Amino acid sequence: MPVVDIDTDELRGLTGHDEMDDEEFKTDLFGLGLEFEGETDDGLLQFEFAPDRLDRLSVEGVARSLRYHYGDDRGVYVPETNDPEWTIEVDESVPDERPYVTGAVIRGVDLDEGALDSLIQLQEKLHATMGRGRAKGAIGIHDLAMIKGAPLQEGAEPSITYRGVDPDGVSFVPLDANDELTPNEVLAEHDTGRAYADLVAGLDRYPAIYDELGLFSFPPVINGKRTEVTTGSRDLFVELTGTDQWTIDRMCNIICYALSARGATIEEVEVNYADGATHPSEYGAELVRPNLDTDEKTVSHDRIETLLGVEFEPEEIVDCFERAGLDASYTLGDEVRYEVEIPPYRVDVLHPLDLVDDVGRAYGFDNLEPRYPDVGTVGGRHERSRLEDAVRTSLVGLGFEDLLNFHMTSGTENFDRMNVEPGTGGAAVAEEDAESGARPPLAGVGVVGGGDPVEITEPYSEEYTQLRTWAIPSLIMLLERNTHNAYPQDVSEIGFVAERDETENTNVAERRHVAGAVARRDASYEAAKGRLQSVCDDFDAELETPRTDHPSFIDGRTAAVVIDGERVGVIGEVHPAVLVEHDLEVPVAAFEFDLDALR
Amino acid sequence: MRLPERQLAVLEAASATDERTIDEIAAETGLKPETVVGAAFDLRDEGLLVVGETADETLDLTDEGREYVDAGLPETRLYRAGLALDADAEPVSMGRVIGEADLNGPEVDIALSNFARKGFGGIDSGELSVDGDADPDTDPEAAALTALAAGEAPDVDERVIDQLDSRGLVAVGESVTRSVTLTDAGVDALMTGVEATETVAQVTPELLASGEWRDVEFSEYNVEADAPTVSGGRKHVLRRTADRVKDVLVGMGFQEMEGPHADSDFWINDCLFMPQDHPARTHWDRFALDVPPMEEIPDELIRRVEAAHRDGWGVDGDGYHSPWSEEFAREIALRGHTTSLSMRYLSGIAGAELEPPQRYFSVEKVYRNDTLDPTHLLEFYQIEGWVMAEDLSVRDLMGTFEEFYRQFGITDIRFKPHYNPYTEPSFELFGEHPETGEEIEIGNSGVFREEVTGPLGVDCDVMAWGLALERLAMLTTGAEDIRDLHGTLADIEFLRNAEVSY
Repeated sequence: MPVVDIDTDELRGLTGHDEMDDEEFKTDLFGLGLEFEGETDDGLLQFEFAPDRLDRLSVEGVARSLRYHYGDDRGVYVPETNDPEWTIEVDESVPDERPYVTGAVIRGVDLDEGALDSLIQLQEKLHATMGRGRAKGAIGIHDLAMIKGAPLQEGAEPSITYRGVDPDGVSFVPLDANDELTPNEVLAEHDTGRAYADLVAGLDRYPAIYDELGLFSFPPVINGKRTEVTTGSRDLFVELTGTDQWTIDRMCNIICYALSARGATIEEVEVNYADGATHPSEYGAELVRPNLDTDEKTVSHDRIETLLGVEFEPEEIVDCFERAGLDASYTLGDEVRYEVEIPPYRVDVLHPLDLVDDVGRAYGFDNLEPRYPDVGTVGGRHERSRLEDAVRTSLVGLGFEDLLNFHMTSGTENFDRMNVEPGTGGAAVAEEDAESGARPPLAGVGVVGGGDPVEITEPYSEEYTQLRTWAIPSLIMLLERNTHNAYPQDVSEIGFVAERDETENTNVAERRHVAGAVARRDASYEAAKGRLQSVCDDFDAELETPRTDHPSFIDGRTAAVVIDGERVGVIGEVHPAVLVEHDLEVPVAAFEFDLDALR
Repeated sequence: MRLPERQLAVLEAASATDERTIDEIAAETGLKPETVVGAAFDLRDEGLLVVGETADETLDLTDEGREYVDAGLPETRLYRAGLALDADAEPVSMGRVIGEADLNGPEVDIALSNFARKGFGGIDSGELSVDGDADPDTDPEAAALTALAAGEAPDVDERVIDQLDSRGLVAVGESVTRSVTLTDAGVDALMTGVEATETVAQVTPELLASGEWRDVEFSEYNVEADAPTVSGGRKHVLRRTADRVKDVLVGMGFQEMEGPHADSDFWINDCLFMPQDHPARTHWDRFALDVPPMEEIPDELIRRVEAAHRDGWGVDGDGYHSPWSEEFAREIALRGHTTSLSMRYLSGIAGAELEPPQRYFSVEKVYRNDTLDPTHLLEFYQIEGWVMAEDLSVRDLMGTFEEFYRQFGITDIRFKPHYNPYTEPSFELFGEHPETGEEIEIGNSGVFREEVTGPLGVDCDVMAWGLALERLAMLTTGAEDIRDLHGTLADIEFLRNAEVSY
């Protein structure tokens, strides 16, 4: 979740509430959903919040929310904008992968250290959230005094150009560097360049912004040093590039609102997409930005009342909207509806329901009285869950310690250390019954546990690379971990196993297997079979154990588990090679079969 | 007459004329004193013996008293130190005397108060003078301690003992001595002759069949001794917590859901109105599986879900400004939440089309890529529940969850407004830890957005919540490291010894 760092002195200044102390702010902000997390090394208070109100990523936005909360402000506020002087020309050479640009000119800023830090913080936090790590939207803020605009033709407005460049064909001095570097050199040699190199890797042309003097910004990677913003900067040029026009426009709006809150004036810029350049289909090729138009949505009185479970007068609802920073008007009639105006810094209102939530927050969800819904339904457990539980009760009655193991494992544990080869059992070798077309239980085909494993794509850890195809390896691993504990150790698990199976909707066959292992000085085939027999008796199932072979077990002491005539698993004495591999010094006898056999 | 062997021995050792103590009889018969006592009471109940009791005062040195036997009473040490510093002639500063006497801590106060009481000298303005005529060697308190240490009865006044008792140097107690005398009936019995009954170690089938058990005595066990522990099997502690949760939910009218662990991103995320570029859907947070994509998803459903993502749902709905690809939606991954099951049930694909009202739940495994630590696992159990009805309100949601948590002793639930892509309004649930009183997050809840329910064909309200079972289990079992419970790292002794919850 996003975290905003707040200088509470600034917060006092921006809200106009000098009398508030830090603790009071913490309480009020908790009420708004901003939870105090701790302090930074510089003594700023950190607040964590859910990523819906991204306009609260800076102290200015948080102060605005508080002013509404305190009743100092009501309704929608939209700052004044001056007409454009500057143009952003979009050249057709702009890479298709990052076609969109937007921007604004900000005049008369008064940046002390605190304000500058806050602006940089807002920029970074917007990058991390809406900007999806700069991939979707990246912000560059420049000192306007250092930009020299060349009008495209005589008498026209000054302009800068968004274009594509040869990665090795131009050089500039990036921030935090002293030498001129080409874009490719930036990616290879500059810390920031290395961090964001992936975002432009593979592009034929890199995105770049030019003024009359040359390249001054290499989005989304780094700005040029020439236009660096300092506490001395008075006028700023904000540009944003990205893969979605709406997203960068909203990011731009949030920046404009933050700077406007500090007394700066917003000046529009024109964005002209050249013929041949990709332009946003919903807005056309010629834009004036920032777009501070408000949105409008309609919500019914009835929906608000049913969703919050409270009856309201229309005036109360309007009051709640205004305290949420929205404007609303309504028409009385058979159905009361509210036309709600939404300010352009909000990025979270996708549906009228979101407005109901705003009413609830302004009204105070704490004021709602819980009630148990007067709705009757019949409860019950799933049949398979009941079966699983009943079998577990039988196993526990036989003295098995019930285990819960991970479903993810590695090929080493699932196959190699058990002496089993993938592709030797289950769906991998199953054949349909020629007559009925039905397939046998996968645990009855070939080597139990020998199915093709479901592998995790690009696993993060060598220990968890696939789903287990059988459960006995998990039991043996647990015994391996517990050799220091007293014997006997009789353990069992009823758990999930899976294998690749392209006849399934998900292409994964998922099964529940019943597995038990008896580990003690006198563990034998007979000890395991006696217990298995008892479980089968509990479910009135007929058990047969015809001789079979399995690479994890001793030849001549291994049998297939056949329940009610169907081959569904394996039972035997674990092979000494497997025991020694797991540092076990006692014999182990084990069985495993498909739970569904007991249905 | 027949009597058990040991009773007979006691009867024969008793006398009609002399009281004989238990110890004497034990010495004579070779039985343990407690055995003799047991037999004597049995014989008394038969009217063959009289058991008499006399109580004697006992006097024992306490640890402190024993210490002073060798080191000398603190006041005496203070006196001797004063003498050594010539305090009988000239008062000496108290500090010096205490140092000379090597008195420490509480000994100093003990020495000073008793020094004055015994007339060993005086203290004035921080200076100490001793009375050269006093004679600690004749101090009766010291003499009594020495006598007790030597195992002799102290030959001193009762008041001296009281004084030592109040100083905590001796412990005054009581010991009961039992003695036995034969009654007339006892004498008669011995005269007519008593036989010993047989003692056997174990009840055997033969003993029961023959009826011989009537004539034998069973040898005694030490019934207080520890027996070897029997390790029976038991249900896993997390399973038991899950059972408890299932019981509560079934009791509240919830039906259990069931469905695939490996599922398409469509069911796991797209139906939930999670934008495809949401951080939780990136490579690092999910476990994608290397199997072919899901082919069978109802086409119309895909179109509706895609429309919700791209253009929003309803007249005033806006979509996400995020890319959406059907290819990604069809990819298979391990589910990051069991809300995928809720989506399958709500869509009707898991069974019948559902008409309101409905309540459904599951307590099943989910998979999230996280760093393994004491509170996080890559696999954990999620409790998921939802209620479908006409016109559900936030108040119904609050009432339902309050009831659920109350069943686990968690009251005073707080609902903190929250944001989830799939619910609105949304609330994080906080509650007080039943033992520590700490405020902890215990769940996430909300009313499913219309962008979720609409494409699934549900046109009433659905409220839902989720919570990690392990979190509840840690609260109710006090486990501090989740890895002790879950997985192949588990310690079998921990599982065997975990307290049974119910």
